Amino acid sequence: MTAAAAPAGLAPGGRRRSALLTGLLVLPAGLWYLVLLVAPLAIIVVFSFGVRARNGGYEPALVLDNYGALLSRPEPFVNSLVMAVAGTIGCLAVGLPLAYYLATRAGSRKNLLILLLVIPFWTSFLIRTYSWLIIFNPDSGLAGIVNGLTGGDDFAILGTPWAVLVGLVYGYLPLMVFPLYVTLERLDRTLVEASKDLGAGRWATFRQVTLPIALPGLVTGSILVFIPMMGEYVIPAILGYGRYYMMGNALVSSFLEARNWPAGSARAVGLIAVMLVTVTFYLWFVSRGRRTRETSVL
Amino acid sequence: MAGQDLDSYLKRIAAQPVSRRSFLAAAGLTGTAAFLASCGGGAKADTELFVYNWSAYIADDNIEEFKKRFGITKFVYDTYANNEELIAKLQGGATGYDIAAPTAEYVPGMVEEGFLEKLDLSKLPNVTKYIDPKFKGLWWDPTNEYQVPKDYGTTGIMYRSKNLPNPPTSWQDFYDLTTGSESGKVVMVDSMGDVFVFPLKMLGYSLNSLDSGELEEARQILLDVAPHILALDSDLYQDKLATEEASMVLGWTGPLLGLQDNEDTADAAYVVPSEGSLFWMDTWVMIKDAPHKDAAYKWLDFIQDPAIQAIETEYNYYATCNTEAKKLVSQEVLDNPAVFPPDDVFVKLEGAEDTSGNNQRLDIWEEFKSKIGG
Amino acid sequence: MAARGGGRPSIDRWGGFIERYFRVHTGLVYAFLYLPIVIVVVFAFNATDTRVTLWRGFSPKWFGIALTDPVVQGYLINSFIVAVPNAILATLFGTMAALGLQRVGKRVRLAFDALTYVSVIVPEIVIALATLVLFATSFDAIEAFFGAGRPGFGFHTIIAAHMLFNISLVLLLVRARLSTMDRTHVEASYDLFAPPWPTFRQITLPQLLPAIMAGFLLSFTFSFDDYVITTFTSGPGSTTIPLYIFGAIKRGVTPETNAVATMMLILTLALLALGQWILGRQSRRERGRGETMAGIIAEQA
Repeated sequence: MTAAAAPAGLAPGGRRRSALLTGLLVLPAGLWYLVLLVAPLAIIVVFSFGVRARNGGYEPALVLDNYGALLSRPEPFVNSLVMAVAGTIGCLAVGLPLAYYLATRAGSRKNLLILLLVIPFWTSFLIRTYSWLIIFNPDSGLAGIVNGLTGGDDFAILGTPWAVLVGLVYGYLPLMVFPLYVTLERLDRTLVEASKDLGAGRWATFRQVTLPIALPGLVTGSILVFIPMMGEYVIPAILGYGRYYMMGNALVSSFLEARNWPAGSARAVGLIAVMLVTVTFYLWFVSRGRRTRETSVL
Repeated sequence: MAGQDLDSYLKRIAAQPVSRRSFLAAAGLTGTAAFLASCGGGAKADTELFVYNWSAYIADDNIEEFKKRFGITKFVYDTYANNEELIAKLQGGATGYDIAAPTAEYVPGMVEEGFLEKLDLSKLPNVTKYIDPKFKGLWWDPTNEYQVPKDYGTTGIMYRSKNLPNPPTSWQDFYDLTTGSESGKVVMVDSMGDVFVFPLKMLGYSLNSLDSGELEEARQILLDVAPHILALDSDLYQDKLATEEASMVLGWTGPLLGLQDNEDTADAAYVVPSEGSLFWMDTWVMIKDAPHKDAAYKWLDFIQDPAIQAIETEYNYYATCNTEAKKLVSQEVLDNPAVFPPDDVFVKLEGAEDTSGNNQRLDIWEEFKSKIGG
Repeated sequence: MAARGGGRPSIDRWGGFIERYFRVHTGLVYAFLYLPIVIVVVFAFNATDTRVTLWRGFSPKWFGIALTDPVVQGYLINSFIVAVPNAILATLFGTMAALGLQRVGKRVRLAFDALTYVSVIVPEIVIALATLVLFATSFDAIEAFFGAGRPGFGFHTIIAAHMLFNISLVLLLVRARLSTMDRTHVEASYDLFAPPWPTFRQITLPQLLPAIMAGFLLSFTFSFDDYVITTFTSGPGSTTIPLYIFGAIKRGVTPETNAVATMMLILTLALLALGQWILGRQSRRERGRGETMAGIIAEQA
């Protein structure tokens, strides 16, 4: 046990920790999780063993058919995986230097810049995405300009994975930047200076001083970006011209088009399970050898 | 045409600030208002109506007229993006609305699930009197007690004639062009029922076919064209036609007049393929346990008042089922074959059924979607 | 201080370049973020009568329409009604939970962590439909049990549904921040027998503030712009801007939406500028005082 960690039940300094206070702190969130997460998920699990009612929806049953059908079409899962990985890497590449700059170099304008980061997202998602359609327009937009310059007429950005990638990075950037910023902001510059004074190169300093502090933010950010991207389907539908069949499309297809709630539920459970395993593995991998001190600050 | 609407719309707003303000007060200003309203409305003479509908699908003039004529102070018009959302919500147990506008093929299922109120036809004289008999007693509502027709239209091929020296007249043409000269310039709407019309009709089968052999043949055709498809898009295909990214679209007539009105895209045209196609009908229904049944009945009858229905037709550019209203519609709209299919086309149209429960269809559809664009 | 001088020219050669890179990168990112926004504003002046995506000339008419359209204004207000209470409550509950989780046993913490991640993992359509079923079933049960007064769907159901994701968001951000925090100040404070609440307020809270603010901003943004969950948990009269816009796709999204977005943007930026100016005046006053102090101290050194 690390030095200042007190025995259970005792706060640092030896005072008795109030279990009541702890309970009260955790109660609202706990309640929300119980009622609005666990309960709905239980419903989904129950549905996944059912069958489609005659007119769609759920009919009680206990069959495994829906799970059996899961592996028959891997394309949506693979497509989503590729997109999500690419998108997460893109967000990291764009977001990490930005977060670093905001946290360590922006000085007094930090808060202003942070706010400016979110303001674009208060305009509706759809008209932002439409703006990308206009920007990449094969007629008058970027693609049109390239065509004009090269004299060709079939250069297109829309409908390609690149358009989707831009759309994804654009849409999820704050979810990567905020966690990174929130941890990097605690980076003490004197530590960095000291490290360099002691002869460590920039890269070594980054690896041994900056990165460990940024790591919780990096982990949170990449999870907050990767997971929703796995379920994303609107951006590929609009910017990808509907040419990429993703997990999100498959889910919407099951629930809304086929109105087969049991099949959709099984797909959802499958996806959630896979993602949960991935996240658990990721968290374990990243925290190997790191001891996190969970000493209360209250 | 659209410009005229806009100008008159603006004039109306300028001229009636008071009624608009009351609309503001009504249209969901405070959560309490909505909460109380949705918590089991009272039994007073209805002054409210909750409508759940596609967007911009009712003429504003008609809404205002309805409110004036029947003393409705609160007309809530919420929107859904497609039938699937409406049905999913009802299936999940959502409540609170009086009127909705599903497409006809979903009505039988909704009746069976108990989502709809059975209509007392004695309260709907306009419906009984004016609806064209050929739209009554159809398979989706044999007793006409669950829906009131709203409008109807077709699925077909929209295209830019300037890019097509030999415009398509049949699904076979569509197939040949898509796999041939127009490869990579074809868009289809993202709707399983509509896309399946193409292969099934081309093969001479019913577009509602559930026969596994016929569906397998259809699958082959779909897989043939999949690599040549530019996009699967229900909402922005007119833009793709306008920029000439696409030369043909398997879709609906809604955007057609907008394209034709503009001089850059005036060569846009629409055809119902010769092998036949799908005819859809949108309907008005009353949701079970509607909080304002009285107002709902008034609405259903009001909307089939010929003068009112004519305004609807001029606003939506979709065909009306109301014989008296047709007499009041402008000749230009009546003569437009994309809006009112001529009789010789009409006989080749088949009404759509709800085939969303057929696993083979779904499988083919998902396979098709995975293979688009190559 | 020693090893600075003779040292490592190879390291310092990169220094200036890296600094410049950060600045350029940041600038480019903001340009990237605001480019579509510029388009949104420009196309608010689109003279088209219907669809916004095709330019048909310049006209400010849509601003006039937006300003006199109480329906859209109503939707905008609804969006705020949903997003603001949401963000406040989620930030409160999430922060409380983050603090509380440091005091609980390992297993409770693990369970919470798992639930937090699951709430992020569940696709929106799934949680939306499942929550709808939950609400509907509960409402049926309430009606059956109490005989009358069936609760309906409306703002309260939307807010409740949104809060799930938002609480997790705040929880993750605050916990990430907490894990980097230096306990020595807190522990020192306790060792000096300072009571917990002032310690929290003066030492911990200021350090947590960036994470709390970040959580609030993200929660607000998520709620304000959400479509899927809102669609399925809404009731009559609780249409928000995203619902209105997505519903409008079929008929064509008009530049009115762009006009509304532009006006909101101008308002927000104006408020921001005002806030900056006020803060600037305050800090100038404080710095005046502070500099004197620093000056005095420096002199003594």
